[in-house]
Amino acid sequence: MNPSALQFHVLGPVAFVSIGSLAVLLGEVFLSRKVDPGDKEVAEARIGSLLAAISTVSLLLAIYAAGFAFFHGTSAAFNPGNPMLSLDPLSSFAMMLVGVGALLSVWLSITYLPALHINHGEYYALLLLATAGMFVMISSVNMIAVFMGLELMSIPIYALAGFNRGNLRSNESGLKYFIIGTFASAILLYGMALLYGATGHTDFAGIRAAFDPSSPLAVAGLVLVVVGFAFKISSVPFHQWTPDVYEGAPTSVTAFMSVTVKTSAFVILLRFLTLALPEVGDDLNAVFWVLAALSMVVGNFMAIIQTNVKRLLAYSSIAHAGYLLVGFVAGTEEARAAVLFYLMIYMFMNLGAFGVVVALAQGGRESDRIDDFAGLAQRRPGLAALMTLFMLALAGIPGTAGFMGKFYIFSAAVQAGYIWLAILGVLTSVVSVYYYLRVPVAMYMSDDTEEEPAEASSSELVVLGLCALAVIYFGLFPNHDPLFDALRLLDLAGTAIAQVP
Amino acid sequence: MTVESVLFYAFAGLSLLSALAMVGFVRNVVAGAMSLVVTMISLAGIYVLLEAHLVAVIQIMVYAGAILVLFLFVIMLLNLRSDDFGPVRPWQGVLKVVGAAVALGIFVVLLGVLPDTLPEVAELPEGFGGFRVIGVSLFTDYVVPVEVAGFLLLAAIVGAVILAKRSID
Repeated sequence: MNPSALQFHVLGPVAFVSIGSLAVLLGEVFLSRKVDPGDKEVAEARIGSLLAAISTVSLLLAIYAAGFAFFHGTSAAFNPGNPMLSLDPLSSFAMMLVGVGALLSVWLSITYLPALHINHGEYYALLLLATAGMFVMISSVNMIAVFMGLELMSIPIYALAGFNRGNLRSNESGLKYFIIGTFASAILLYGMALLYGATGHTDFAGIRAAFDPSSPLAVAGLVLVVVGFAFKISSVPFHQWTPDVYEGAPTSVTAFMSVTVKTSAFVILLRFLTLALPEVGDDLNAVFWVLAALSMVVGNFMAIIQTNVKRLLAYSSIAHAGYLLVGFVAGTEEARAAVLFYLMIYMFMNLGAFGVVVALAQGGRESDRIDDFAGLAQRRPGLAALMTLFMLALAGIPGTAGFMGKFYIFSAAVQAGYIWLAILGVLTSVVSVYYYLRVPVAMYMSDDTEEEPAEASSSELVVLGLCALAVIYFGLFPNHDPLFDALRLLDLAGTAIAQVP
Repeated sequence: MTVESVLFYAFAGLSLLSALAMVGFVRNVVAGAMSLVVTMISLAGIYVLLEAHLVAVIQIMVYAGAILVLFLFVIMLLNLRSDDFGPVRPWQGVLKVVGAAVALGIFVVLLGVLPDTLPEVAELPEGFGGFRVIGVSLFTDYVVPVEVAGFLLLAAIVGAVILAKRSID
């Protein structure tokens, strides 16, 4: 290894976030030394906001570094002799996405954590560590780095899911996610080991050169790797953990993991399939076809019978994994750009919907049943209107970004000849309108049952406002930006995909 | 048959037998854990035969040593007796047979196809499997995963403390 050939700027985003997590951990220790027991509540809130500020700064720096690399078209590997991490348009684009998702989740947590009496600084440290893991996974071009990134992403999220220690559901969520997630990691690792055994390489380029589709060992390894990722994106039939984990975890954590974990897993799957195995696409298409169809059908139909908004959104996220997999099946460059575009749109819609649930929490408990939303329009018309917007967007109603996302994915599928899959997708989205609209119906058409809800804090309103703006703006101008002329999202996603070496 | 292959079959057979014994001893957990030790040590023997000396030492120190001791601690803390497990249900026997059949089937299939598909074994480089070579390789080619592993351990410690501490102030 030649030290002068090392490209340290490749590590920029990862370094900013991981140093931020250390700063948060140390900051909490030093800040809470002088706390007077008398005003513990106030001091804790102040420390919490300070730590959130540190996290914000480090995430902003990471987003800036990734954005700088993306708009300058950087394409470099940390150690060109033996590339592990690569900063190219795809990884920097995905890092920006994940970074924004993490940033919005941090802002959602500032007043939510005190409302649930779980305002501990470790929360922000774990969130940043998970983000660092996602950055590593997104930018890896070697199976070893993929696995390390995946674990660095997963382990903090297991702890975050169980962060509300006094709550049995949160305990269940953390434990369940830990056991099933570890199981999935083991399957993924086994698949990687078999691929290594069959090809003698762990880097994507080496696997590509030595991959022999007629070798049963290599195919078994490939299938196990796909299964491992299917767990992480919660695609049917590997979805059983999703509703329980999403329901039990603190809502800000659910918001964080539902968007960022999915984005990271989809991006690394995209990278692995395009970089390592472009030739076996046809055989894998059958697998993804089945996964996509099952996810759309099971996710949408199971969501109908839910009475808890977080469970409903969990099944909806399974269904959305199905829509995204449709883009994988289509497999053309347009379809892959549409997948990235959809991941971005999905982030804003989903963070917004969970953000409304976050804003309703107060006094140590959550208001996450559909009944809790009854009559919300009379008490909090603004929140009710925002929730309606996000629900319409998730359902894919024209005029919102959700429609544009689905439109691009399904039209790419039709162009690639997968007409039946597109029809299935459209039909199941029609089903989804029913359950998404149950929330607005409860808010506008039933009588008030609950006491006065808490005032939404300013940080929550910022997040909700940003998400709503994005959902409307990108719904009207997905690829034509009259204001800035820089936010041509579909073109940007296309650039990210096209330049994968 | 060379000495190596005799030793390989001895270790492989021992590890298989003790792995089966571990699964079989479901009602006596301590005996199960001890069979696991035998599996780990036989695997270490196989690693030595593969010239992976450092891995073999780590296997004995970490797996047969630290992790198994941890297992035994937990087993003794929980103080499980066989009546804690409840009666054997009939479907458990069926599941055992089905699981064994599937495992055997995979084994037979792999046995049929593997010998022709494995890549050629390369000539071992100088110092293969030793501390120096592995250390140099870890801190040059694989420095990124090593650093990530450091953060991973930090995350695991912070997560464990936050979940398991008696009270947080």
